[in-house]
Amino acid sequence: MENIKRVSPVVFKARPVKTEIRDNWAVTLEYDAEGPGPYLIDLSHRTRWDVQDGNLDEITPWEVAIPETPGKSIMEKGFLINRMNRTQASVWHLTGEQPDAPDGPAYTETTDATMFVALIGRKTYAIAEKLTSLDLANPAQKTPFLLQGPIAHVPCQVVTLAQSGEHCDILFTCSRGYAQSMVGAILEAGEEFGLRPAGEAAFSKI
Amino acid sequence: MNRFNQLLTLRIDPTRKKAFTYLGKTYQGAEGDTVASALYANGVRIFARSLKYHRPRGLYSLDGECSNTCMEVDGIPNVRAENTLLKNGMAVKAQNVKGTPEKDLLGFMDKMSWAMPAGFYYNTMHKPAMIWPIALKQIRKVAGLGKLAPDFAMTGKYDEIFPTADVCVIGGGPAGMSAALSAAENGLRVIILEARPWLGGFFEYRVAEYQNEVPLYQRARDLAKQVADTPDIRTFTHTAMVGAYSNNLITAFQIGGANDSFDQRYIEIRAQSVVVATGCIERPLLFDNNEKPGVMQIGCAHRLARTYGLLAGEKAVFSIGHDLGLEAAIDLFDLGLKISCVADIREDGQDPGLVEIMQRKKIPLLRGWVATEAHGKKTLNKVTLSTLQGTRDKEFSCDLLVASAGMTPVTGPLTLAQAKLAFDNHTGFFLPTQLPVKMHAAGRMSGLNDALAIEASGRCAGLQAAADCGASVDANLDEARTSLESRPGPVKGSKMVTAPVKGDKTFICFDEDTTVKNIKQAIEKGFDVTELIKRFTSAGTGPGQGGIPGHNLPLFVAQYNADPDVSAKPTTIRPPLVPTFIATYAGANHDMCKRTPLHALQKKAGGVFRRVGVWNRARYFSQDFTCRDEIDNVRNNVGLFDASTLGKFKIWGPDALKALQRVYVSDMSKISDGKIKYSAMCNEDACLIDDGVVIKRGKNDYYFTTSTARAGATVEWIRYHTRYDGWNYSMVNLTDAFGVINLAGPDARKVLAEITDADVSNDAFPYTGYREFKIKNTIPVRAMRLGFVGELSYELHAPSSYMPALWEILEDAGSEFNIRNFGLEAQNVLRMERCHVIIGAESEQRTTLHDVGLGFLWDRTKTDAKTVGAFALKQTEKQAGRLKLVGFKTEDSDARAPRDGSIIVDTKIRGYVCIARHSHTLDEVIGLALVDESLAKIGTKLEIYEDECGDKRLYAVVAPTPFYDPEAKRLKM
Repeated sequence: MENIKRVSPVVFKARPVKTEIRDNWAVTLEYDAEGPGPYLIDLSHRTRWDVQDGNLDEITPWEVAIPETPGKSIMEKGFLINRMNRTQASVWHLTGEQPDAPDGPAYTETTDATMFVALIGRKTYAIAEKLTSLDLANPAQKTPFLLQGPIAHVPCQVVTLAQSGEHCDILFTCSRGYAQSMVGAILEAGEEFGLRPAGEAAFSKI
Repeated sequence: MNRFNQLLTLRIDPTRKKAFTYLGKTYQGAEGDTVASALYANGVRIFARSLKYHRPRGLYSLDGECSNTCMEVDGIPNVRAENTLLKNGMAVKAQNVKGTPEKDLLGFMDKMSWAMPAGFYYNTMHKPAMIWPIALKQIRKVAGLGKLAPDFAMTGKYDEIFPTADVCVIGGGPAGMSAALSAAENGLRVIILEARPWLGGFFEYRVAEYQNEVPLYQRARDLAKQVADTPDIRTFTHTAMVGAYSNNLITAFQIGGANDSFDQRYIEIRAQSVVVATGCIERPLLFDNNEKPGVMQIGCAHRLARTYGLLAGEKAVFSIGHDLGLEAAIDLFDLGLKISCVADIREDGQDPGLVEIMQRKKIPLLRGWVATEAHGKKTLNKVTLSTLQGTRDKEFSCDLLVASAGMTPVTGPLTLAQAKLAFDNHTGFFLPTQLPVKMHAAGRMSGLNDALAIEASGRCAGLQAAADCGASVDANLDEARTSLESRPGPVKGSKMVTAPVKGDKTFICFDEDTTVKNIKQAIEKGFDVTELIKRFTSAGTGPGQGGIPGHNLPLFVAQYNADPDVSAKPTTIRPPLVPTFIATYAGANHDMCKRTPLHALQKKAGGVFRRVGVWNRARYFSQDFTCRDEIDNVRNNVGLFDASTLGKFKIWGPDALKALQRVYVSDMSKISDGKIKYSAMCNEDACLIDDGVVIKRGKNDYYFTTSTARAGATVEWIRYHTRYDGWNYSMVNLTDAFGVINLAGPDARKVLAEITDADVSNDAFPYTGYREFKIKNTIPVRAMRLGFVGELSYELHAPSSYMPALWEILEDAGSEFNIRNFGLEAQNVLRMERCHVIIGAESEQRTTLHDVGLGFLWDRTKTDAKTVGAFALKQTEKQAGRLKLVGFKTEDSDARAPRDGSIIVDTKIRGYVCIARHSHTLDEVIGLALVDESLAKIGTKLEIYEDECGDKRLYAVVAPTPFYDPEAKRLKM
């Protein structure tokens, strides 16, 4: 049906200037006056899965091996795969066309279970440390890596995609219901650093 | 008052003025001034009056170690003026005065001190007991440290950060900076916390030589530059450490500067290793009137001149016990202070170099002498000195007495980290006998006084901390240790506590007006433990957190008791080490709450929201909080309810059924295809913790719901109760993945039939049925025929992103049937009419499955799964004396409903009302209550007592349930 749309839990108080409908999702590609960054980008429309199995090492989502060590992530074929624990991983589809749903009982689609945002650009670590004690810029960790813990007191999965000096690219998910509170907290924390909402196109550039 | 404006050590800019008001007048301070230094520069000597005796109090330490300079600044009481940087436009007021600090109408209290011995209110105001509440109010009117209106709202921005470090260094003096540099050289991330607005510690204001004609202050600045130039070191100045917790969690708060985005911010640091280099403060010298304005510590007088450009007086006497006193006397003399005499507690052991300079400058030095009394009506005008034995005395006119018994280390951070302290006879310090794991002490706090030794000890500590983080430091550490050993070690400290005086007006604690005499009184009453003496006399319980009496109190007690080993321990200190605003702890205080996918639509529809646990939920859809129209519409037409907050879970795998059998009381193997199974979970005590429905979606694949409140705990609950079984199953929490709409009312089927091609007739989709189909061929839904509100109803579970679309489709299809929203309150009344319980509303911690009439759910034949709570269910099933859930109606149908939670009484409390409302459907007041079993029989009269109802009671009668549609025909229509 044409008019049935899927709605992201994230709503920014910014005017979209470029949008598109993708798999029933209304996706904003660009907002008005995005500025030079840092950016907060809603990626909630990007498909995500939970993978659980006692023999996780034998599962290769889209022929990508799940990292062996909990806390490690791998970015391959447009998928970010994060090893959560002995039996569980999360898969976030970041680039490219919407993939087919994988077969097998191990997979549960969790796209609608969480909100999914990217915090990218300069000073992002300074913003993040106002919200979490997670060590997102740990130089001892090789990017991308996964941390599971609270941001603004809400349990999250957080992946540091890249870091260099005060520049840090972070992706994270939390329960969908917290989306507006979370976005409000992040934007407030980032106000002094010029944080603004940006469309998906800003994420595609990194 | 003239100020020095050319000193290289100055931290003020006299050319940049700041205006502020005090006592209705406008004054000028300089940029860099604290409120206290600015007031001092403007001639203010009395800053406040003391807590109990309203004695005049003035500048004493400059670091806020006591409440002497607690003032009201911009409406905020108890601001430590010594630590608060002056800002333009500040409004400063004295506190704890009736009148002005100079003329306090309650000043006469000082003459009443004879009537207020230690613990006087315990002795005089507690018997008979009725006196105390009256006395308490009067005491609080007279005493106290500032007043705050109950509706006072803090202005300003309070922030928080949670940085991570490899090494956290507490104290930004020479040892701290050296430690930080050493750790950072090993590639570690280092954080320095410094309480003052700049780094440098006790080097920072001193002009004495460091090495090779470089003065100490210059060395401090060189080190600070090195720190600033090291990218791995992050420095937080004007930041007081306030707490230390497990695994090196260090908390602090920072005061924002002109360019910061915050006024104060809370800092929580997780570090692998911690270096404590907090140095020393001065140990107050005890003599009569030792807190009179004009008496101050060495560092206070010295820093006032060197940092703020102010000579503290014109003519001074020194009574000291440390070489820093001699150094300060020489430096202040050079700056123009007239010094009548320097009395040194020590009969020998002074630095010969300093003594020689004093002789050259003709500054009289009396060895083995001490101040015994400060004279003057309100401020100092004369000092009496005597020999240590009190055999001879001398008097000197002066307006400044620089007094200090010696040094005492700032061990608060170590103590908070559970280090045990013991008295060290050489230094006279309380020092840690063993440091906590991955915590190191450095610098002056270990008794070092030599500048190079202090830095070397900092380097050692920094390298040890680096080793804690896995760095290879052996060679460097050996070198640093050798360097430290080559320098002078800890110096012998003065142990003198009190001058030879009676102690009537010798204050051991300024904050609480506790005198030496008070301590003696407590000891004579039999208190022999310092910790108890502290409680009885209040010494050390004020805002200074024991900064003034912390060391002297145990020493004095030990000396008074003639304890040769000084085995007394320092009294306990607790976080926060430094008084901190509650607003600072609150930080940004983001209100993190959940919204359902339908939040915006319900808001637009006039929903009135209330916080329910973590969720914001629409409770009403009009200002009629009885929700009459919402209820009527469900009973007569059709309503829409957002039930998205229900817990939703997927559980699958070969052993998924076993896991369900373990936690649910029913036999879950009996779930039929296409049907829902309602069941409940109990804890080990048979008490009800949750209920919900379970659906079998495929082989070893189940979907189940929980109550909203239990959703967050369900995965852990099931995992916990199957932890030893090694079962192979998986679970995913889908609570947020699916929204839920309850479509309820006699016309619900008609609405549903309009938007799906699926057969939703009663035959095809009967009561307790489960179906999966699509709405408008697009939105996948999981539909359940349930009847929580007592009508034909469908619970539609759909992906959250589709929920707004689904809601609008339903509204559109239902418009011809007068569809409308109903909220949480309407649902509450509707389900109560049917007597459907909500766990938590009609149950509490002690309520079992049988108590609420759900015993039929329990399958006692399934023994193989060891159902959680099954054993206790057998015990409690017929247990006497339990509260039972009953329905009731008020005797008078026109009566108002009793309030939820009202108690049911006869001669004792017999139960309580869980919920009661006026039912519009039934036109009577009905409710549910948990009552003593003896009152549970139909027809029993219940007497209901509400808060503050006096002699008036409400009366109700136990009635048959359900109240509405007892044959459940409407659910199955």
